[in-house]
Amino acid sequence: MQTFLQLFFSGLALGSIYALVALGFVVIYRASQVFNFAHGEFVMLGAFLMISLVRGGMWWIVALGVTMAVTGGVGMGIERVVLRPMIGRPVFVTVIVTIFVGALMRVAINVIWGVGERGMPTPWDTTSVMEILGARVLYNSVAAILATGLVLVGFYLLFQRSRIGIGMRATASDQEVALGLGIPVGRVFAFSWFLAGSLAALAGVFLGMFPRIVDGNIWLIALAAFPAVLIGGLESPLGAVIGGLALGVVQLLAQGYVNPLLGAFGNNFHQVFPYVIMIGFLMFRPYGLFGTREVERI
Amino acid sequence: MPTKPLSIRYEDDLRLLSSRWRQAGVVLLVLFALLFPLRASSLWLTLGSEILVFVVGGVGLMILTGFTGQISLGHAAFIGIGGYTAAILGGTYGVPFWVIVPVAGVLSAAVGLAVGPFALRLKGLYLAIVTLGLVFLVAHVLRSFPELTGGLSGISVPMLWWFDGPTVSTAQFELLGTPLSSAIQKYYIFLVLAVIAVLFATNLRRSHTGRSMAAVRDRDVAAAVMGVDVARTKYVAFGVSSFLAGVAGAMFGWEAQFLTIDATVNLLVSIEYIAIIVIGGIGTVVGAVLGAIAFVVLGQLADAFLGELPLLSELSSAQRRNTFQAILVAVFLIVEPFGLFGIWMRIKFYFMAWPFRY
Repeated sequence: MQTFLQLFFSGLALGSIYALVALGFVVIYRASQVFNFAHGEFVMLGAFLMISLVRGGMWWIVALGVTMAVTGGVGMGIERVVLRPMIGRPVFVTVIVTIFVGALMRVAINVIWGVGERGMPTPWDTTSVMEILGARVLYNSVAAILATGLVLVGFYLLFQRSRIGIGMRATASDQEVALGLGIPVGRVFAFSWFLAGSLAALAGVFLGMFPRIVDGNIWLIALAAFPAVLIGGLESPLGAVIGGLALGVVQLLAQGYVNPLLGAFGNNFHQVFPYVIMIGFLMFRPYGLFGTREVERI
Repeated sequence: MPTKPLSIRYEDDLRLLSSRWRQAGVVLLVLFALLFPLRASSLWLTLGSEILVFVVGGVGLMILTGFTGQISLGHAAFIGIGGYTAAILGGTYGVPFWVIVPVAGVLSAAVGLAVGPFALRLKGLYLAIVTLGLVFLVAHVLRSFPELTGGLSGISVPMLWWFDGPTVSTAQFELLGTPLSSAIQKYYIFLVLAVIAVLFATNLRRSHTGRSMAAVRDRDVAAAVMGVDVARTKYVAFGVSSFLAGVAGAMFGWEAQFLTIDATVNLLVSIEYIAIIVIGGIGTVVGAVLGAIAFVVLGQLADAFLGELPLLSELSSAQRRNTFQAILVAVFLIVEPFGLFGIWMRIKFYFMAWPFRY
């Protein structure tokens, strides 16, 4: 039972990071029908920037804010320069463009910071643990879960109550009508990318603490989060959050319980396990849990 | 400048090379490809073989993505299956290359057909990500049997010639006074495979199946209503595409002579192939060939010249190539969506209509 709880809480912490990443995908996809393959690079940028800022002597919380703002700004810039001219082109084309934008960002980050491993600084002692129901949980994990919870509440309020949030929902439901009603669709795009960028940066910061390392491969988290996005449904923020949390928990439980069952085949099986689940799941619900089923007409 | 010849009879429509200019062009191209290795330095010979590998793999992806419109990020999985088939059969069991080529293709096609059911239910992004999952799954399976695949340390891929021969052919052939080294022989074998792949794809495009593919790509619901068997078309596309990718994988293995899982079955490899068909021009066989040539040659030039620039000299040569590739593809997609083929068509129409503007 204790092992189970231990794995469960670790999974929840990882899952909340996945949820943040998945939410970023969904926000961008809803606004501009772009599936952003460069999202992992936003995570990476956030993590590296945060380390530099804190090491440069900035307060942790201020550094976090600056990191999120800067990463969001980068996202906004990429949308304006690269993706705005691509409006109306097939999804395929924008996917490829974002893949290559991501590759460029990765190279840029390598040039600026190098690829060496480094630890993410934290305001609390990184090794301190607290006991929850007999399971020993890292402060880092608790912080990740709490921060994600806060962000989700804020996101919900923004989406349901604020002017720009309502504009985002309107744009997602019908771009042309939204434009006709005077909603500044361009600004909605920019804001969506900003939001996704800052969510990714936040995810990067916590991801850097949780497995406690930041290196040149941290962008792979975005690929790992795909199953969460697709199982949740591409258009649904709620689906992304549920999918993300479930993904984290399932992954760690699989690591604890499924891997040993499979013998040699089980080495690192938990890394592909979410994909196996996703592939099976999509056979039965091709649009995910909360995605919209498209009605096709000729 | 001759204009397009008038098609009067059905036979005119059936001809593969419709005009004298095209015939002349193809003859020149084939002559060049045949004579090229005799005078090329060993670096350019290697690049030539690489181009041929990318032509076969690119044609495979072109059939799937360019003809049928199914986005696949899983090409690397099929390349990997082909490469490891060649490595295991050739290295462990001493099977000669001409047996391996079809076996690698068929094995890879079998996995490709297994993706078929998903392609029937999923579209666009969902399918792209399922195929991406395939890359991870294949990499995981390969990693799980280290006694067979060499695991993380990699595996060498010998290219055995005939049943008796060791890795390097001892037979001495001569062509126009140049002795044919094993690298040149390999180039010629690759050339034959690439020509077969290109001819096959060209003919496929003109066939009933090829036209069904185009219909599925352009609007699958409309195609189904018109009586195109969408399911069959998608299965054929996946099967043929992964067959060619498997062959390309085996060729890639022989070219590289050593495979590691991380470098072969990798999202970046899939992306390279996507870059090739995008640069060349999506939806045409010529595009796959032009794309492969441009990709390898420009990549080599970029590697040589970008190294001189101050910031970029800190990158490894693979990173420089990736950077260059990324910029090239982004520019092409934004400025010239039809790729090199589109540029070529524009030049051609300009001269055909000359001295008028259109």
